[in-house]
Amino acid sequence: MDFSTQIIKKLKNIGTEAVQADYKKQGYHIEVLLNKNQVRDFAKIMLEKEFYLDFVTAVHIESGFQAVYQFGHFEESCHVNAKAVTEDGAIQTICDIFDGANWHERETHDFYGLKFTDHPDLRVLILDEDDADLNPLLKNDKKLQSLEGITRVEDSEKKPVKKKKAVKAKEDKEKVKSEDKPAESC
Amino acid sequence: MGTLTTKFSTIQDPEEKHRFLLNMGPQHPCTHGVLRIVLEMDGEHAMGIDPILGYGHRMHEKMAECRPWSGFYPNTGRIDYGGAIAYNHGYCALIEKMAGIEVPERAEYIRVITVELNRIASHFLGVGAYIIDLGAFTPILYMFDDREDILDALEDITGSRLTYCHHRVGGVSKDIDDLFIKRTRAIIKNIRSRFDMYDRLVTGNIIFQKRTKDVGIIPLEMARRYGATGPVLRGSGLGFDIRKNEPYSVYPEFDFDIPTGENGDAFDRYMVRMLELEQSLRIIEQALDKLPDGPVMAKVKRIKLQPGDCSFSVEAARGVLTYYLVGDGSNVPYKLKIRVPSYSNLSLLEELCKGELLADLVSTMGSLDLIIPEIDR
Repeated sequence: MDFSTQIIKKLKNIGTEAVQADYKKQGYHIEVLLNKNQVRDFAKIMLEKEFYLDFVTAVHIESGFQAVYQFGHFEESCHVNAKAVTEDGAIQTICDIFDGANWHERETHDFYGLKFTDHPDLRVLILDEDDADLNPLLKNDKKLQSLEGITRVEDSEKKPVKKKKAVKAKEDKEKVKSEDKPAESC
Repeated sequence: MGTLTTKFSTIQDPEEKHRFLLNMGPQHPCTHGVLRIVLEMDGEHAMGIDPILGYGHRMHEKMAECRPWSGFYPNTGRIDYGGAIAYNHGYCALIEKMAGIEVPERAEYIRVITVELNRIASHFLGVGAYIIDLGAFTPILYMFDDREDILDALEDITGSRLTYCHHRVGGVSKDIDDLFIKRTRAIIKNIRSRFDMYDRLVTGNIIFQKRTKDVGIIPLEMARRYGATGPVLRGSGLGFDIRKNEPYSVYPEFDFDIPTGENGDAFDRYMVRMLELEQSLRIIEQALDKLPDGPVMAKVKRIKLQPGDCSFSVEAARGVLTYYLVGDGSNVPYKLKIRVPSYSNLSLLEELCKGELLADLVSTMGSLDLIIPEIDR
């Protein structure tokens, strides 16, 4: 059994959705979909299997945030990309498991306002203290996409998604009209 | 201290009255840029270390979300000013991967040649500045002399000397000519002829050795927890290099080694960089010998970034550089995350230098070879 099949099996054992990714198109070998309570279990497996932390970041979507964790491996050619959607703007920290996640989580908190619960030190890291609530990477309603809008689709399924997006854009337009326009232009 | 809140509270404790705060930077020469570190000192020993980032923050990731993907080329040259071409390369390779574009072979060779030349220049800058931190002024003059030749050569084909923007999606913007090849061969010869001198002048110098050996030892397990990569990791004895482990571009066609250290101290990290110079020279030499003819640019139609994510890692001068892009079907990236090596490499400083002498902290930090604009982005 090769290394990535082993990891996928191990990840499936804790109830996560782990699949082999298309390395040629996506640049990582394993894609993992977590629910937000599985993040710590997932990180523990990564530590046990001697992965190193590539990065932690987030993507702003309609329903909240998608936290993204990417790990690489020093010996095997294996990148693991994990995504967890959170609706309430909070997710558990993994910085006591991977110390390197500390700064990545602080940065994500700076840029998105995503809270990492139990993080020991969520002061602003990169932004100025006065701009702590700026959250520069939040999208305005016009640009905000749903999770489906940024999820990979196979060639055969492409058309319906486009249609869906057009309908969504129309809805969004009406939404923007009714609400106050945000100050930021992009 | 301004209005800034630091995390040190022991100062208020009457029992710990002898402790004091020391502010290092943002204009301290040893921080190599605008990095500020607040230290809680007990005599000469740093008991608490709190790096304050963001003085050179430009929000590159937001800029990427506000313009078509092709408008982000110039930004890639301005993140790590030491080794900018690797950043060009990573970004182009990412978009090529997303759009499924094949790059002509000659262009790939030129990419490798420019990236490796830039890596040498970057190591000269890093090592030279490090030795200045330790009090020796002469070596950097020789190193910058060599670096100058490389910058001149690169200026010819890229048009700039520091913030390069040479690679394009589908190839490179300008072909190299015979003059460049001749020049590069002369540079290789010249740099090689100086290795002996560097050995005598720096590596064998007793003061240099006393300042670097057994200073700032990074165990392998610590490097893994923090995600440290590049010469910092290789100094600790693990030969991890994306160019070998997950080969990209035409690197598999070249014969080169991954130098590693043994103890993981500052001296090993210095040695790894010096040995990497020779390996980069070897790669350039082979690439010049094998350089194929042909076009340097593929035909690229208009690219829309399909919904979905894509990640691409390259070995930059300081470690693993990862671009992570999320597309939404338009030609503007929905999200672009840039994972920079110095960021993870610096984050272990606090654990590494707790209780160490201030002078050793300076030595350790220099050996990490930090580029602050890269950390701040």
